[in-house]
Amino acid sequence: MTRLGLYTTIIFWLAMAMLPLVVRPWDLVMFSQLLIYGIAAMSLALIWGQGGLLCFGQALFFGVGAYVMALTGKGLIPGIAASAWLGLGLATLSGALVALLAGFALFFGQALRGPYFGIVTIAAAVIVERFATNWRYIGGYNGLLDIEPLSFALIWPGLDSAEPLAGYLTALLAAFAVFLLLNALVRSPFGTVLRGLRADEQRVASLGYSVGLWKTIAFCIGGGTAALSGALFAVQFSFVSPAVIGFAMSTEILIWAAVGGKEVLLAAMAGAAVVKYFEAVLSDAIGHYYLLVIGIIFIVVVVALPRGLLGRLFELPRPQRLRADGISGHTQKHRERADAAAPMEPRQPAPGKQEDGT
Amino acid sequence: MLLEISDLSKRFGGIRALRGVDLTLGGGEVKCIIGPNGCGKSTLFNILTGVLRPDEGKVIFDGQRIDGLAAHKISRLGIGRKFQVPGILSELTVLENIEVASTARATLGGLWSTLFSGGDGSVYRRHLMDADLWKYADQPASELPHGIKQRLEILMLVARGSRLLLLDEPTAGMTASETNATIQLINEINAETGAAILVIEHDMSFVRSIGRPVAAMIRGRIVREGDYDDIQADPEVRSAYLGERA
Repeated sequence: MTRLGLYTTIIFWLAMAMLPLVVRPWDLVMFSQLLIYGIAAMSLALIWGQGGLLCFGQALFFGVGAYVMALTGKGLIPGIAASAWLGLGLATLSGALVALLAGFALFFGQALRGPYFGIVTIAAAVIVERFATNWRYIGGYNGLLDIEPLSFALIWPGLDSAEPLAGYLTALLAAFAVFLLLNALVRSPFGTVLRGLRADEQRVASLGYSVGLWKTIAFCIGGGTAALSGALFAVQFSFVSPAVIGFAMSTEILIWAAVGGKEVLLAAMAGAAVVKYFEAVLSDAIGHYYLLVIGIIFIVVVVALPRGLLGRLFELPRPQRLRADGISGHTQKHRERADAAAPMEPRQPAPGKQEDGT
Repeated sequence: MLLEISDLSKRFGGIRALRGVDLTLGGGEVKCIIGPNGCGKSTLFNILTGVLRPDEGKVIFDGQRIDGLAAHKISRLGIGRKFQVPGILSELTVLENIEVASTARATLGGLWSTLFSGGDGSVYRRHLMDADLWKYADQPASELPHGIKQRLEILMLVARGSRLLLLDEPTAGMTASETNATIQLINEINAETGAAILVIEHDMSFVRSIGRPVAAMIRGRIVREGDYDDIQADPEVRSAYLGERA
């Protein structure tokens, strides 16, 4: 197995960290946006690329995050103090909660699979967008303006995330933290089971997993992550409108993940940057026709390159325990212990230990 | 008795797939169920694994009634099933496949603990080596030869720690030498882990080679139990299964 992905991943993050040294403040603002979109792309890469849940409504969570952030920052949620930092936490939690409820509705009982699941998520995104457009309290069609930035007054008096460098470092830190967390998740046995669900749900259920619960939890983590990126988006732009919660935004997130490579977190993240960059270049060159070109690129990638443009570039080596050469090295010491514990005996499950209680 | 099935019936509309099946299996026992297509073998397995609920009758596994329980709960009690079509996770590598199974054993399907524990890899490495699968360890399961896929699936049940293995036509589509290797694997697993194994087959040569007790199933009922020679000599079995007149 090649180590290419390890080097490219390290180079990617180092380059992102060095960026403020070489680009102008105005460009830094653009790069922070790309990082924030990248977080949303990673959230979809988790549930779609790993769990196989093709969700057309990822902007639902992104939008919930953005609106909760905006409303909390402005002190518009009754009983909750106006605070941008509190808003960031609340936004993430709200996204996770919405995903949790949606997950229970979608994955239990008459569980929806494949295209049916996708169709319901499209409908949900469209409905919520209409809803946001018509709800005056949250700004209706015009959205909400002048959203509070995140304050860094503790570090430097008067400093906040509206300052380009501070804003960029906030986005970078958030993106890196999300990457590390999701990557740890994907590389743990939890991730292996998630990929198992993508391959064959019934088979995984027959091994003893509560499939609905696993999908719901994956959905919940993805929802929280998308909401975090929505919240950062609201702070960065200082503006939210119903467009952030609807179908168009959902499709964009989907395109980023698919073009970059949905099975590799960093590829999906970089996919957001690549697509957004090309959009900017193309719309300068050919005006509104850029959408047509992006659409064609999307179709070509989905058909011809199921792993995306960057999947191979950023694919990390599998964890040691899942590699033939990785295990043989330290087998000997494990083996004695394993033999002592008579591992071939099928173990009787202890009745009290069924943890998820379903 | 590890498994006691009594008077099990299942109806699909007007079709009576099972009409009062009685069958028992002791701990560590290996038994084959033979029968022509449509005799209800797969329906029986679907009930045993919680995919279907029976209309009548009951299934007792290790002293506990399991008919009507959810599939993942039955699996956690220690019943593992090998599907007729290889039920491996095709996009995952051989080691990942084994990890999904061994994690289920180590964590009993609990969510939180799977973040940290995937079961002991060295144990499964030995299983893979014993079954001649090690050279495929890093390959996606979809790229394996057919016989190896079937063996991988059986090994997943072992890694899962199942005490009762239900094998649905484990040698379907196999060459003679692959069939022999599978018989050897079944015997080894039975000897080493003490797991009871119930095999559905309609390949008579498999049933003869494995040399274990046989139950003949015809039109939703067990009509005869005995060894291979008894079954082969039984007129009712011959007429239904081998197409001869009684």
